Amino acid sequence: MQIVLILLAVLALIAVLMYNSLIGKKNQVENIFAGVDAVLKKRFDLIPNLVASVERYMEHEKATLEKVTDLRSQAMKPGISDEQKIALDSKLTAALGSITVAMEAYPDLKANENVMHLQRSLHEVEEQISAARRAYNQAVTDLNNAIEMFPTNLMAGWMGLSRRAVFEITVTERQNVDVNELFKR
Amino acid sequence: MKSTSELTDFYYRELHPALKELEAQRTEILSRLKLYGGMGVVSLALLCIWMGKHLGLFHPLFFAGVVGSVALGGIVFRAMTHGYAKSFKEHIITPLIQAIDPHLLYNPHFMVSRHLFERSGLFQHSIDRYQGNDYVKGSINGVGIEFSDIHAEYETRDSKGRSQWHTLFRGLFLVAEFNKHFKSKTVVLPDHAEKTFGSLIGGWLQSKNFSRDDLIRLDDPEFEQHFVVYGSDPIEARYILTHSMMKRILAFQKKLSHPLFSSFAPNHIHVAIGTEKDLFEPAIFTSLLDYKQAMEYVMTLRNTIGLIEELKLNEKLWSKS
Repeated sequence: MQIVLILLAVLALIAVLMYNSLIGKKNQVENIFAGVDAVLKKRFDLIPNLVASVERYMEHEKATLEKVTDLRSQAMKPGISDEQKIALDSKLTAALGSITVAMEAYPDLKANENVMHLQRSLHEVEEQISAARRAYNQAVTDLNNAIEMFPTNLMAGWMGLSRRAVFEITVTERQNVDVNELFKR
Repeated sequence: MKSTSELTDFYYRELHPALKELEAQRTEILSRLKLYGGMGVVSLALLCIWMGKHLGLFHPLFFAGVVGSVALGGIVFRAMTHGYAKSFKEHIITPLIQAIDPHLLYNPHFMVSRHLFERSGLFQHSIDRYQGNDYVKGSINGVGIEFSDIHAEYETRDSKGRSQWHTLFRGLFLVAEFNKHFKSKTVVLPDHAEKTFGSLIGGWLQSKNFSRDDLIRLDDPEFEQHFVVYGSDPIEARYILTHSMMKRILAFQKKLSHPLFSSFAPNHIHVAIGTEKDLFEPAIFTSLLDYKQAMEYVMTLRNTIGLIEELKLNEKLWSKS
């Protein structure tokens, strides 16, 4: 009789530990996403200034600049889901990336100290976003591992936890910016 | 900044007259050492035989005699080499450092402040004795840097009240400005657990280290194998340790044959290399003109100061320019 009680106590302890560990991992994911959000917001704050500064010079990039402004307003709408935020982030990164590359072709811009400072700030924010994405992916991988691996998958199934998506770069954005296109002017 | 080959040329060419003089001093000291050493060993042997005969082999006076003569030997050695070491630092190390960059300051008696050492968070034990020498400070490519030899120790007392000294760290300690803004503290230590126990158990053990901040697992497997990272902010840790920075730190570790400790505390990088010995001390038993010996001085200096270029601390791509 005593052995049964001890066994039950041990199982209960293990169950509690698994539950807590899963909750901890889930909260870590939320915590880091909040950090991602904060750094994405920094980028949104930089964009109007950047667009205003360069649009006078970069007449050929009007379409991309408009796209950037549009993506920004989409991303800043209240109440969008995490998945949408992730999707918009990758589109915005690609668009801003092509602007930065295009800036190389405008010597007037490179002489403008204001614009250069903005570019450095943008570079800094992009690196911080990259770091935030990596941290988020690590946290999500930890959670996904716990959800799918034995024995925590049993507890996770009972708790109703589901896999999360990592930050991925979609296939279209993975295509490198065509430098030849830039020179066809 | 001069390259290693330029510095080696400098060592052998410009410093040649000074080297020759010091070599002469060295050989003289060596022959005197051999003489005194020989005499000391013979007299010690005689003393041992006499004491053994009259007092028995395990008499406390016997041990006192042995310890005393070893200590005396140490004092004599230090006294004889002191002038030579001083001359070496003045005539060889100082010009060598000036050759690397004329704006570097060198003082053989100073050391990096204890405050900076403790602030780095690399070694968590309290320090009871803090010594150092060979302090270099300056700015290379616009990056402020300072480093010195450091020997930090702590004392433990056993149940009988006897004290024992343990070395916490002995080697080179360097502090440099870091080119990115960040607020948290991140520490990169050599990874013993994962190397010994493999990534599963080792990783679990490392995450249980309560004296440190949270364990941060990074996405470069080779880096993870060699280093363990603790930090208070997982996002800032990855902002600092980008893929290219991790590769650079790994490459630097591979160049060194000693453990590399690094930490990032607001706006500075701290690097500690556990060489277990004093750098820039003149060779007694090998010739100063010996190529390997020369390279040791040149390479140590060049690698330490070159850390700025190695880790690209002079890149000003961010808003901290």
